[in-house]
Amino acid sequence: MTNKARLNLLASVLLPLCVAVLLFILWQTEVLHILLGTDTITLPLPTRIGEIIGQNADAIWEHTQISLRVALGGLVMGSVLGYGIALIATIFPKWGAGGLSIVSAFNAIPIVALAPVINNWTRDISTEVDQRSTVAKMLVVMIFCTASMSINAFRGLTELKPFSEDLMKTYAAKRGTVFLKLRLPNSIPYIFTALKVSVPSSIIGALVSEYFAEDTVGVGRQIRENIVKGQYPTAWAYIAVACIIGIALYAILMLVEHLVMKRRKG
Amino acid sequence: MTKLKRILASKTTVTLVWVVGVMAIWEVFAFIVAATKRTPINVLPHVWQIVESFFSDKAVTGKMTMAQLIATSCGETLSRAAIGFLIGTVLGYLLALLMNMSGIVEKIAFPYLMIIQMIPILGMAPIILAITGDIDSSRMVIAAILTFYPVSTNTLAGFKAVEKEKHELMYSYAATGFQRYIKTYIPFSIPYFFTGLKISAPMAITASILVDTLQGGNGLGCMLSQSLKGGMTRLVFWDIVVISAIIGILSYYLMGLIEKLICPYKRRGQEVIL
Repeated sequence: MTNKARLNLLASVLLPLCVAVLLFILWQTEVLHILLGTDTITLPLPTRIGEIIGQNADAIWEHTQISLRVALGGLVMGSVLGYGIALIATIFPKWGAGGLSIVSAFNAIPIVALAPVINNWTRDISTEVDQRSTVAKMLVVMIFCTASMSINAFRGLTELKPFSEDLMKTYAAKRGTVFLKLRLPNSIPYIFTALKVSVPSSIIGALVSEYFAEDTVGVGRQIRENIVKGQYPTAWAYIAVACIIGIALYAILMLVEHLVMKRRKG
Repeated sequence: MTKLKRILASKTTVTLVWVVGVMAIWEVFAFIVAATKRTPINVLPHVWQIVESFFSDKAVTGKMTMAQLIATSCGETLSRAAIGFLIGTVLGYLLALLMNMSGIVEKIAFPYLMIIQMIPILGMAPIILAITGDIDSSRMVIAAILTFYPVSTNTLAGFKAVEKEKHELMYSYAATGFQRYIKTYIPFSIPYFFTGLKISAPMAITASILVDTLQGGNGLGCMLSQSLKGGMTRLVFWDIVVISAIIGILSYYLMGLIEKLICPYKRRGQEVIL
């Protein structure tokens, strides 16, 4: 690494960090409150939020687990369903592509609005409130995640390298072989593209569906409940946790992508 | 015969068949629900019930019919979403410009643009409502934040995607910085910019509706939650779900239409996900 490149890297780490520190100082010294026209009750100091997280660590961890279960469960269900739709669309390209345009229209629907109805749909699944409400929340997250996976996976399965399909034909490869050797590996980078959209949206889906759920648990519900009760510092603690979950899951995804892609190249 | 075949093979037919198919599946489930549930309207009403209730002239609230009620609440929600969307678009575009002009700004802002996509902003809706203290401004703020980063990242990607030859040509013309932006950067990035808008327009509307549900008022989301609580017939809820779906899809197509008007030449920007 040349000197200049090293300096460049240092700058791209230090500069954002400086801004973060500046923001922290402004927040802690209450300058930010004056700028936003608010007070330390609605926007508590960072140290106070940290204190609350420390005090309620057990409860927060419990709610985090619940929300994570919903987000990840829904994410897996949605991604599998989305990939399945993409597979069917690849087998029947003409009708499948039309079906995908319907699925992508789902992206534009405020699915949030469906959360309360899905609660009604799952009423018969179980007599336990927590079970049926978890299923309802997962369904919302699933719908959130399906569209991006099906669209991206379809592209991965069909947008092949030029002539690779012809090469397969000259080998007299069966459709199954073409799929296993060509289409499936080709779709892997696209799966990660889809996940980069659906991992953050799975968390949003989980938090928002908790607002409407029967069962009053989860990080999202706690944010809302604590605000209704006027306990802003606690609500902020849960917001901080939600942000940490979002960033952590994204970081894990990046790491997995890095590992998988490196192995593919090597 | 060949004409018929062409009509059958066209893309519109395929989409139409799918729409009819989805509606048919809906109806099948609606019949099952109607036969087995005590209050089918809460679970899944028939499609025709929804359509009929929208056009009926029976009053659902004090004096408004369904269509009037939905039109007024749509106006309320959409106008705020649109203002937030505009603010977010302008700010996002400006930031992309600044990031392209100055490496320092880019280094500072880019990590934050990445982080903001990982943060569940919609989950923060209640606290934004508490800070602004007013439902109108919180709708705008959230719609603006959600619009801001797709526009910014996509536009920046558009600026970066300008081919080297174009820069060299402008250099050979001794073009000033201002001319380079007017002649190369900005025209080139328009499709990318619209990709950002297409992502964020439905998001801004969704966000507005969600914020509505948190507090009373006259928006779509408020009517939605009031209808769920039993304040008025459940069909209000279903009508709003359907209408908001249509609005969301229309907002996407509206952006595509504006794009076609502004730059009719075809050059698609790739969707950028960091």
